[in-house]
Amino acid sequence: MTTIATDPPRNGPSPLERSYARLGVLLIAPTIVVFSAVIVYPLLAAIYLSVFSIYTPTLEGEFVGADNYVKMLTGGVFWSSLWTTLIWTVGTLSLQIIFGVGLALLLHQNIWFRSLARSLVLFPYFLSTVVAVLVWRWLFNDLYGALNHGMMQAGIIDMPLDWLGSMPNAMIGVILVGAWKYFPFVVIAVLARLQTIPENLYEAARIDGAGPVARFIDVTLPQLKSVLTVIILLRAIWDFKEFDLIFLLTGGGPVTSTQTLSLLVYQEAFGLNRMGQAAAYSVGMMLVMLVFMILYIRRTGKES
Amino acid sequence: MTSKMLRPIILNVVTWTLVLMISFPLFWMIVTSLKPQTELFRIPPTWLPETVTFEHYWRLLTETPFLRFFRNSVVLATSTTVFVVALGTLGAYSLVRFRFRGRETMAMLVLFTYLLPSVVLIIPLYLMMVWLGISNTLFSLILAHTTFALPYALWLLRSFMEGIPDDLENAALVDGASRLGAFKDVILPQLLPGIISTALFTFILSWNEYLYALVLVNSESVAPLTTGVMTMLISAFNIEWSLLMAASVMMSVPLIIVFAFLQSYLTSGFGAGGVKG
Repeated sequence: MTTIATDPPRNGPSPLERSYARLGVLLIAPTIVVFSAVIVYPLLAAIYLSVFSIYTPTLEGEFVGADNYVKMLTGGVFWSSLWTTLIWTVGTLSLQIIFGVGLALLLHQNIWFRSLARSLVLFPYFLSTVVAVLVWRWLFNDLYGALNHGMMQAGIIDMPLDWLGSMPNAMIGVILVGAWKYFPFVVIAVLARLQTIPENLYEAARIDGAGPVARFIDVTLPQLKSVLTVIILLRAIWDFKEFDLIFLLTGGGPVTSTQTLSLLVYQEAFGLNRMGQAAAYSVGMMLVMLVFMILYIRRTGKES
Repeated sequence: MTSKMLRPIILNVVTWTLVLMISFPLFWMIVTSLKPQTELFRIPPTWLPETVTFEHYWRLLTETPFLRFFRNSVVLATSTTVFVVALGTLGAYSLVRFRFRGRETMAMLVLFTYLLPSVVLIIPLYLMMVWLGISNTLFSLILAHTTFALPYALWLLRSFMEGIPDDLENAALVDGASRLGAFKDVILPQLLPGIISTALFTFILSWNEYLYALVLVNSESVAPLTTGVMTMLISAFNIEWSLLMAASVMMSVPLIIVFAFLQSYLTSGFGAGGVKG
């Protein structure tokens, strides 16, 4: 009783809470410093640079106001690159989802050497893009490539195809390699979710006389819906900004047929030496991505 | 009756056919690296090598700068990992277990940068490294790798940290431990699997990174494996595919080791890394 009576009315945090808060700030301070130096500052600098015209080799330039943005919006390059990026993203993402969900369902079953099968499926995702590209360029090789010969032996094609040097083959090739490299992400995420679906849901469906297809549509899919939304958002963002894989496979070619926005920014800054214009393109690209990023962040924020 | 027996067999055959098709590029990489040059350009190709040779591996290690690239990559990926995991562990502890102003904003900022495209940062980072006079060094690459590795590590460690029950820490505090004492004795041991998982992910990310190495480093003495091996492809008059495939296999060795012994840490990282939907 007495303690309560003598306690001062509590306005705000206690000394202990305050000292904890100080410690908390202290612990995150190094992270904030590094974050500001290598991420926040460059991000703001990119926006700042986008209103200058800078010649890359000398790094000299002058203020040009909104010129770079006007060029971006009125010139065709940005829009055609955006279109290419969308084709690549939608193409590779659809394949990733279809194969990812399909294989997750298969690997969820009781098959022989299941863990070995899972490891083999997982491997491409962790493989260096450089390695993946080297292997695939060798597979795609028009004269000695295993892919052409395999397809010819199987009777699918009569003549070797020029995989990366002509359109639409180059885009198909890039989309295929992207799907091969990144679909394991979908497999792992879906597999993890499948393991948490209670078995009695399937039991109940079976008692109701639902076949395998009906069980998939009525039980599995609704359970996968939320994880699939997150996967699609995340992979859409990552595929949209992909650089290494496309740059190393085709370099954006033939001509600019596979030049996505990331490649455009690189080409403008370090190929054509117009750094300011490149910065403007990168800001434009980020604005397009922002829609997906906000969707993803809001979703994740809601959950935690 | 027969359909009951047949079903698992069909399921296995279908699954394994797909799995083998997916692994074919990896199989082909190894096969090519073991074929003598003469057998490589046979039409149609031999699906299994008629003669197995290790000459390409030998040439790779003795006649090319491969070992230097490899050493650079080891230094780069290890430094990035140590740096980022140390910062990230403290940062994640702070974000999860402390209450202070700006905490939520910080968490959102981490998530935002986790999704940010590298090409946005590459131009200012390039200018920054030139201005600081450290372009063309491994140190500049370590700093640059922090831009994607730190948000990633923080996000992963944050999820792992959230999985540790509050009660454990509270019990230690009631027993008279200080916050940092409780962190060292209670949180760190609990977090260890998460730290290992994060470290593996960071190491692999840094090991595989290409764009920053391409822009920030142009001398062969500091080039990591990714750009180093690619210059072997571009600078050769006639591309030596066996040599490149041998390089690819060697480049994947750390990954193969991780896969053989520590795979469960990789899959647990997936559950934590933002795809918990």
